[in-house]
Amino acid sequence: MSVRKFLPALLVSVGLTLLMLPLQEAIDLSNTALLYVLVVVLIGSRYGRGPAIATALLSALLYAHVFVPPLFSLAITEVQYLLAAVVMLVVALLVGHLTASLKSQAEQVQARETQARALYDLARHLSAAQTPAEVEEIASRFLGTALQAIHTRILPESAFAAPPPPLTAALLQSALAGRHPLLSAGGDLRHTLALVPLIAAGPPRVLACELPAAQAGDTATRELLETASSVLTVALERTHFAEVARETELRRAAESLRSSILSALSHDLRTPLTVMVGLADTLALGKASPERQKSMLAALRNQALSINQLVTNLLDMAHLRSGNLELNEAWQPIDEVIGATLQQVRTHWKDREVTLDIPSGLPPLRFDAVLVERVLWNLLENAIKYSPADTPVELVVRRFGEWLDVMICDWGPGLPADGGEELFGLFRRGQAESSIPGVGLGLAIARSIAEAHGGQVLAENRMGGGACFRLRLPLGSAPTLSDLEDET
Amino acid sequence: MSETPTILLVEDDPQIRELVAATLEGEGYAIVEAGTAVQGAVEAGACKPDLLILDLGLPDRNGINFIRDYRIWSAVPILVLSARSQEISKVTALDAGADDYLTKPFGVSELLARVRALLRRPAAEREQLEPTIEFGDCRIDCVRRQVTRAGEPLHLTDIQYRLLILLASNPGRVLTHRQLLLQIWGGRAVENNQYLRVYVGHLRQKIERIPAQPQHILTEIGVGYRFQP
Repeated sequence: MSVRKFLPALLVSVGLTLLMLPLQEAIDLSNTALLYVLVVVLIGSRYGRGPAIATALLSALLYAHVFVPPLFSLAITEVQYLLAAVVMLVVALLVGHLTASLKSQAEQVQARETQARALYDLARHLSAAQTPAEVEEIASRFLGTALQAIHTRILPESAFAAPPPPLTAALLQSALAGRHPLLSAGGDLRHTLALVPLIAAGPPRVLACELPAAQAGDTATRELLETASSVLTVALERTHFAEVARETELRRAAESLRSSILSALSHDLRTPLTVMVGLADTLALGKASPERQKSMLAALRNQALSINQLVTNLLDMAHLRSGNLELNEAWQPIDEVIGATLQQVRTHWKDREVTLDIPSGLPPLRFDAVLVERVLWNLLENAIKYSPADTPVELVVRRFGEWLDVMICDWGPGLPADGGEELFGLFRRGQAESSIPGVGLGLAIARSIAEAHGGQVLAENRMGGGACFRLRLPLGSAPTLSDLEDET
Repeated sequence: MSETPTILLVEDDPQIRELVAATLEGEGYAIVEAGTAVQGAVEAGACKPDLLILDLGLPDRNGINFIRDYRIWSAVPILVLSARSQEISKVTALDAGADDYLTKPFGVSELLARVRALLRRPAAEREQLEPTIEFGDCRIDCVRRQVTRAGEPLHLTDIQYRLLILLASNPGRVLTHRQLLLQIWGGRAVENNQYLRVYVGHLRQKIERIPAQPQHILTEIGVGYRFQP
């Protein structure tokens, strides 16, 4: 208890005495005693038991010395004055004591309420925690404010082998074996190690923290620690089950993807392979006419190329979905990548007409040319494959505000009535079994790439029949090339 | 160069080695085969090839390092074979000194065209550059620094002219962005591909019939440009 609390006791007693001194004649001696008692009550309710007792003793002394005849002497000559002084002292002590107890009770209630609120906050924060690491962080924050704990950790059993000092494996094991908080000398003299077992579904853990040595042994501290640990246990259990559920969901999704990959591959890989084996066997017999042989060889090559296309798409998809895709972006005009893609389209489909409509003066865009070329190739390939051979495929580039759209339109049957969003799924095709080769990866790849660039691939039917696929890329603000040599 | 050019083929996959060797032998070239980088280096010293065909994915050594070491003592053209997943290493190989690349799977006609173009080149370099280069309906007169298209003179800026000459004097060969930037602007502009794209765009406007579908200055996506006469 600090000395400062006793200073008011001294001041008020002396002050009252000085105040009453000139009024000595006017006020009755017993009333003066009552005033002293009042002061003791006030001090007791404000500063607690110690100052109240000090005030009572001091007041009794001052009362006896100053007001009781003979004046300015501690001697009390008459019995009734002695009685009054003793009664005053006893009343002052009693009232002071009672007031102080009341105050300390009120303070305890206040502290409990604060603690309850902190625990409530802890529970509320924990309800949002998704992982054990988040639970640990929230626990660390809570114990830091509520108990001034430092180095709060939640260690799973797997981390017991090499715990951060001053924790030891043996200490953690014995904490786990017990039911209650375990206290042990900490890393430094001012702190005590506290370890609480957290036993829940999933791996058992131990909550370890360092508490200020002075309060580590308190019942209140122990109670708070136990309550907090039970709240933490529930939270950890919840994160464990959430994790299990997530894993199950992932496994299920992977399982269904694997089965759709297998069924797609078994069809789309086996068909060309069957054809190739047959062609090779027939050619080996050497009975076909030279012209027939030539066309069979061409067919052999085409089948191999279609398998290559399939494998390329699969690898692209695996690469895009692996999550470590790094864009090799640069500012460049879109026409260049369109030109290069068309160059390839021409080598595959020599006679197919592709019309171009690209306005001049388009600003450059920031993109990965290799990936955007894949998008354009996939969209053009789709348009060519799924529309009649004697109709043109149209490629139109337009600027819409902050976006640049490359539209690839055909005169085919168009999209299904529901808008064709389905087509963007993995291994989705317009018609499940079709003579047109492909596994349904092209649009999924195109969309993944566009999204990696902050863009989008959209599908729509166009007026007058046929489908339009739109690659939409953000324009951004291209850097100006200041020191370019003047151009004409 | 001797009568029959010798080609050293360094490729670890026996089937692809067999295919490439058979194809090239059919065309009358002499083939020396190696299955590893170590063996390839030994053969390169022993047989003095006229062309080196190198697979980038060798088991015992990084193909890029092989090229760097080889370039220290030999200027023999190198044709790189790469898988599609090696986009970046393709460019690195070209910058390290390889002359051209083929992506697997490649067609036989493509392979032969590249081999012919690469074997032709040293002869052209020895003889000095032709004073005039012709392609399509364009004609470059290197002596008078004049370019004409269908008889009409074309007005090219200095940089456009240098870019055109650089591309046209390496017909059929891919030049990386870095190589072009280095030769035309010097070291300071090496990272600035955007300049190059702007100039190529302007050049195409002047020499291509349909600039959006170029016939002569072809884009090799992610790598550079290839000039086709």
